[in-house]
Parts: sequence; C-alpha cells; structure tokens
Amino acid sequence: MINTILKYGLITVVLILLQILVLNNIQFSGYVNPYVYIIIILLLPWLTPSWIVLIVAFFTGLLIDLAAGSPGMHASATLLAGFARPFVLRLIAPRDGYDPGSSLSMASYGFRWFLIYASAIVLIHHTTLFFIEVFRFADFFRTILRILLSSIFTLAFILLIEYYRKGR
Amino acid sequence: MRNLLNFLLKYNNIIVFLILEGIAFYWLTNGNIYHNSRIVKTVHGITRGLEQRITNAKNYLSLREVNLKLAEENSALLNRVEKLSRPGSSYFEPVNDTTAGQQYQFTSARVINNSVNKQKNFITINKGSFQGIKPDMALTDGKNVVGMVVGCSGNFSVAISLLNLDFRLSARLKSSGYFGSLTWDGRNPRYAVLNEIPQHIQVSQGDTVETTAFSAVFPEGIGIGRVNEIRNSGSDFYRITVELFTDFRQVQHVNVIGNLKREEQLELELQYQ
Repeated sequence: MINTILKYGLITVVLILLQILVLNNIQFSGYVNPYVYIIIILLLPWLTPSWIVLIVAFFTGLLIDLAAGSPGMHASATLLAGFARPFVLRLIAPRDGYDPGSSLSMASYGFRWFLIYASAIVLIHHTTLFFIEVFRFADFFRTILRILLSSIFTLAFILLIEYYRKGR
Repeated sequence: MRNLLNFLLKYNNIIVFLILEGIAFYWLTNGNIYHNSRIVKTVHGITRGLEQRITNAKNYLSLREVNLKLAEENSALLNRVEKLSRPGSSYFEPVNDTTAGQQYQFTSARVINNSVNKQKNFITINKGSFQGIKPDMALTDGKNVVGMVVGCSGNFSVAISLLNLDFRLSARLKSSGYFGSLTWDGRNPRYAVLNEIPQHIQVSQGDTVETTAFSAVFPEGIGIGRVNEIRNSGSDFYRITVELFTDFRQVQHVNVIGNLKREEQLELELQYQ
C-alpha cells in the first residue's frame, strides 16, 4: 500500500516537472501543446476511490496552473477528466471485468484497450482545456483543430511512456 | 437526517466534483483578469526564484547576440547625440528643468517570464513600481513593439504581450500614413493582423507598419513589422498580415517607455468626448 502510494507520488512529481520544465516550453506552429501530465489520472490503480481520483486531479491541475500562471484552467480540465474516468472505465470494461489489484496500464490490459482509454480521457481533458483557454466559440473549428493535433501529440507521448514502462 | 446522510454518501463523487470544479472556476474567473489575483502573485513570488535562475542561465548563453544588439543601438544613439549637440554654438540655452521638453521616459528591464504558445501571453519583467514603472507604459525591445504594462508590484511588472488576443494597437502604414488597428489572431507568433485599412489605399508587400501616438501609450513611429500578405476581408477593408520585427521567442531586454504627458492629454481629451 505504502509502496504503491510512494511509486505514484514519484511518478506524479516527475511528470509535473517534465510538463513544467520541458513540455510547457514547446512551441510548435501554435497548434500543438502536449499536456502529458494527464497520464497521472490515467494510471491510478483501479481500486482508487473516485473521490481520491478527483482530489489528485484537482491538485495536479492546480500545480500546473501555478507554474504556468493560468489560474483554474488546468485544474478544471483535469478535474473533469478525473470525474469522467469511472464512466469511461465502465464503458470499455474488458469481458471478464477488471482485476482488482491491477494498475490500469498497457501491460495489464493490452494496447487496444489502453489506446481507447487514453484517447477518451485525453480528448475530454484537451477539449475542456482549450475551450476554457480561448473562452469563446468564435474560431470554433480552429480550436477543434488545436485540440485534435495536441491530443495526437499527447497520446504519442503517453504511448511512448507506456511502452517504456512495459519494456522494463 | 439519515436520508440526508444517505444522499451525501450516494452522491459523494458528484459533490466532491462540483465543489472542486466550483473552486477552479471561481479562481478562473477571478484570477484571469491579467493574472493579478493575490494567490497567483504569492505563488509567483516562490516560482520566480526558480524562473530567475533559469533566465539567468539562458541570458548567459545569448550574451553574444545581446552585445551585438547593444553595440548597434549604441552607435545609433551616438549618431543622434552628434547631430543634436553643437559645441560652441549659442543657439541652445541651458535649461534647469531637465524634463521640460521631455515627453517620454525610458527604463530598461529584463524579461524574467515570457510565453508565446498560449492564446493570451504575458511577459513578466524585473522592474516594478519602486523603479517607476506604472500600468499603461509601453514595452519595446529597443526598436520594436513588444507589449504594454498592465500591472505592477514593488519589483516586478506584468505586461500584456502583443501575442495576446486581448491586445489592440493603433498602427499605421509608414508609406501612406493610413492607420488601422493591429491584433494578434492567436496562430503564429511571427505574424499579426492589421485591420481597418480601406481598400482604396495602395498597399504593397514589404511596407513598414509602425505605431501611431493616438493611444498615448506608444511614441509615434515605433516599428511593428512588415506587410506580408494582403487580402480583402469581404467588407471595404483589407485584412493585412504583418510579419513582426520582434522575435518574441528571444526577447530578453526590454525598454519600458512612459509617456510623461499622457495624463495631461487624456484629461484634455476627456473634456470634449
């Protein structure tokens, strides 16, 4: 138990630092801003009570917000992603259900399952985030384009991280 | 009472979610007016130490470029001094009030936080009200427009960058003098858009776009960029894409320009509007 918490705490810190120090400085044609820290919400074990997921989501977003100087944007988007997580999990549950002790990773449930799971959460998160950021519906399709491109990059990063973890 | 408890237990998720989302949105709406909320300020104080260290390292790496730029500017200034001062001539009387004819006051500052990849970008500089910086002062990188100060603490100021959807600037074509309003469309940090230039004006690619003095913020004739693409926007106006002179990704030293006569001008204008 303590071990798991420590492990996830460490992953969280590393990912937040990665986001703040490296990914927030990436500027790629104005359309692509990967937000990989969302993987923190993805990887929480299946048994985590949903209110803990929500609190973790909120504080992760809060930290990113404080570092990026964008009050509330990441916090609300990540929170919504955390809130949607149980519903997404229920929708795409494998045929024989989830193994209570398992972590929700590619290693446990396979590539196809993880891709669907990650895409759903990333899309929810990015859609909220980018719409909150522009805070208007003018330029609707451009925002959609930004969401799609950024989601693709975020997903690519997440899959890379997962492959690395699986390989070890 | 038991019903209430049961209700709370059953919907504890949604309740936690709504409370936290409420906090986030409260913060979003309150803090987003130019990032001036108290929380952000306090925490910025903490992260600023780190930022300043990173900036220091970055600055060190680009000393060469900065030196070149300074040398260039130095020589330009020297030329001007040469033109203005005529030793031995009696045309100029010494004046005791040194600011008598001066309209603009220049302060140099260093950029310690900056971004170009958001829709609303801001720049933090390392001087504030203790150094005489006030809101509504202009920011240039020496020659070209960078932004406008919107808020100051004692030793720091936050400026709204030209790369911000909320930034508007009165700009004109240097060749013809016709003016319009310049905004950023949020796409590419190299380009901004000049609107409200009527279509009977001759505009050609490569024309210089510069500031007007209408806003009483920027001095006249500060460079903004070069005309890159001219399109008809459907109405009677052009939609002109301007390639910016300033490279916002590497702005490090800025000049803060305060208009000493701004209040006088605005006061007078207010009487007749």
